[in-house]
Amino acid sequence: MREESGRATAGLRRRDVLRAGAAGAAIGTAGLPGLAQAQAQAQAQGRGRIAFANGSAFDTMDPHATFDVGRVAYRLNLYDGLMRWLDNPPKIEPWLAESYTVSEDGKRYVFKLRQGVKFHDGSDLTADDVVYSMERILSIGKPVTALFTPLMDRGSTKALDRYTVEFNLKSASAIFIATLHDLYVVNSALVKRNERNGDWGQEWLSRNDAGSGSYVLQRFDPARGFLARRYNQHFLGPAGLEEIDFRYVAEVNSRVLGLIRGDFQGTDPYMPQDQIARLQADPNMNVMEAESTRLFYATFHHQRPPFTDLNFRKAVSHCFDYDGWINNILGGSVVRNTQVIPNPMWGAPKDVAGYTYDIDKAKWYLQRVQVPLREITVAGMIGYEQSMQAAALLQNGLARAGVQSKLLNEPFPVVSNKFRDPAQMYDMLFLWRSTYYADPHNWAGEMLHSNRRGNGNNGYYSNPEVDRLLDQALATPDQARRAPLYEQVARIAAEDAAALCVHNGKWYGPFRKNVQGVRFCPIGDGQEMRWLRIT
Amino acid sequence: MKTLVLVLGRLAWFVPTIIGLLAIVFFISHVIPADPAAFVAGENATPETIAAIREKLGLDKPLHIQFWHYLVSIAQGDMGRSIYTGRPVAEDLLSRLPATLELAIAAIIVASLIGIPLGVVSALRRNTWLDHGLRVVTIAGLAIASFWFAILLQLFFSMRLGVTPLHGRVEGWGPEPITGFYTIDAIIWQDPEILLDALRHMILPVTTLALPATATIVRFTRAGVLNALQSNYVLYETAMGYPRRLVVWKYVLRNALIGTVTQIGLIFGLLLAGAVVVEAVFDWPGLGLFAVNSILSSDYNAVMGFTLIAGAMFIVVNLLVDILQGMIDPRETR
Repeated sequence: MREESGRATAGLRRRDVLRAGAAGAAIGTAGLPGLAQAQAQAQAQGRGRIAFANGSAFDTMDPHATFDVGRVAYRLNLYDGLMRWLDNPPKIEPWLAESYTVSEDGKRYVFKLRQGVKFHDGSDLTADDVVYSMERILSIGKPVTALFTPLMDRGSTKALDRYTVEFNLKSASAIFIATLHDLYVVNSALVKRNERNGDWGQEWLSRNDAGSGSYVLQRFDPARGFLARRYNQHFLGPAGLEEIDFRYVAEVNSRVLGLIRGDFQGTDPYMPQDQIARLQADPNMNVMEAESTRLFYATFHHQRPPFTDLNFRKAVSHCFDYDGWINNILGGSVVRNTQVIPNPMWGAPKDVAGYTYDIDKAKWYLQRVQVPLREITVAGMIGYEQSMQAAALLQNGLARAGVQSKLLNEPFPVVSNKFRDPAQMYDMLFLWRSTYYADPHNWAGEMLHSNRRGNGNNGYYSNPEVDRLLDQALATPDQARRAPLYEQVARIAAEDAAALCVHNGKWYGPFRKNVQGVRFCPIGDGQEMRWLRIT
Repeated sequence: MKTLVLVLGRLAWFVPTIIGLLAIVFFISHVIPADPAAFVAGENATPETIAAIREKLGLDKPLHIQFWHYLVSIAQGDMGRSIYTGRPVAEDLLSRLPATLELAIAAIIVASLIGIPLGVVSALRRNTWLDHGLRVVTIAGLAIASFWFAILLQLFFSMRLGVTPLHGRVEGWGPEPITGFYTIDAIIWQDPEILLDALRHMILPVTTLALPATATIVRFTRAGVLNALQSNYVLYETAMGYPRRLVVWKYVLRNALIGTVTQIGLIFGLLLAGAVVVEAVFDWPGLGLFAVNSILSSDYNAVMGFTLIAGAMFIVVNLLVDILQGMIDPRETR
């Protein structure tokens, strides 16, 4: 066994207190110098309230039912996980976990839990709750299930004692710790009491709270959002704000006007660049800016000619006007990303020049294509402006190079259905790869490994050398040894034109100026409210 | 008695009409090549996970079997569960229905109260500047896009003048719901502050929704009044020396309103559809946005539930219109 984070508790607390200032991260029970004072300050100052306008509907309060960033707020604020991603660049920190050990073969993880953590109903959070939460995730068939099913089987997680839990993986996986952020722990006794017909309490939990997080659910209306009040018994101490009000506001314009008027103090960053610019120009706004890890790219259908021909893929890669896209259409709000791993992520090679907009080069490659050319389909996603705009921009370049193409925009449920079937999948599709866990495998592994074809690897790309490197990286625990493997994968994929990599997104966090203490992390989008205070 | 026969006749058609409506929506929504099981399972789900979800949801069965199962559930009062939230669809719909109904009913009342008198005045002042002016306004009311008009109202009244709320049904979370109609709930809770607040919040969305409805009512009332004014009975009553006001507002309007009332019934259906835009702009937590999100995520049970509710409301409103017409003109029930 090797000890991975024996000093995690003290380290996290000290760091958190520094970051959150007096507002949020004081620990009541730690006994560390100054913490009691910090807690008292937090309670004295933290009477604020934030109304946050969110573009995605909070249609459920079940922490295991959703996995998207758009609805991350209730998961982060009402629930705790064993580990938590914090800050940017993201760092995974022990949260409910105090420490953990890993067996030599990398398959057995034993976690020691913090003692004295209380759920919102006052009951203790124990190893049984962690086991139940993992079993629940593996059983209910929601998006987060897909994160853990490749790693472990049902029944393999065990409570060794009241505060010790053991995970047994199918095989060694360097990303297991990275994924534990999404193991939100629910109050098993409470949920079990509300199970109906073996539904793991899904119906009940969709409207109710069974967490231990910094805030306690007060009201929930799927049409409106949720209201939560500070949980003063949280293991990190009371949060900075007394109340958080997350409202579903579908229209971008309404979110922006509401923010300008002061009805809201913050909103999500998913809005066109002109709206960001409008907010940046307002003296009452503080639009925070950070490079994130959200790759925008287009798939190539590697099983369907002419995309089976490398020369054709390279030709198409030279038909996209990258500079025009980034500087003119998106106003410089994103950064060119020449390969599959976002630039700020470790494991991203810095020496991949990537493709440029060069119609002459495209024509040169087209002349060397060995398979018959035909009209290709370039798809975008309805409701995602950038996806549709990029498809149109590429079509223009393709026309200049002499490649016939047609545009097809479809809603995401239709698109996600076509992912699964190579016969239905588009020739090309513009989409994003978000940060589900901050590890290069989130991009390189999920997008390129042949065992992910149809579920992540949506271009049905297959390269035995890439598979070998990815498998090796996954079985290697040491980040320093993994990084060169991912760099190599990214280089091969770029040379192979595995996908048309366009840009890495920036995060724009629009808040009013009196909101302080926002901690942006690509996994939580700056929506963990416990750090905030209103001045 | 005639009214009762009319109601029973309409109710007899209610069930087959609804079944036909559900069948159309069911088969059309399943023709779209979307797989809710794949959507629910997420981007990285394995084919086995998706297949398991599909089986659990009954989506692996032939379409006609799925439809039959759905009809049986409906007959038992069960609208099914949302694929995404796991909650009963009826619960989700009923929590949103009052918001949409409150908006639509307020809009139709405002449109009628303004539209009918203006239509009468427009007809009586035919081909005057007033009539021409009203024509311009009503055509504009029909032509202006609701989305654009709503944002314009927000920018002017909420942002520039600051006299109306920008969005939402009330400040904060509103009263504990009893009926779900905030105005009624506020009265039940005897809370005049919330009542006023709810009414203030209704001003802009109701104006947006009522504008095209008002325009339609003005045009139909005007046409009806003009038609009635040319009738022999009006000529006779005028010749008999009946006061002009009595002739117009009692006899002419009664006959002229038959077409208008029919139109109001149809407008109510359009208001439910038009509420989607208004709800989106004004952050109004009603059925419209729920329907759009359900359609986009292929939440079949939710889409069907919305169809059922909207269809039933439309039928009921038009039944009421028929009864009203019978009251205005008994010949209509023959």
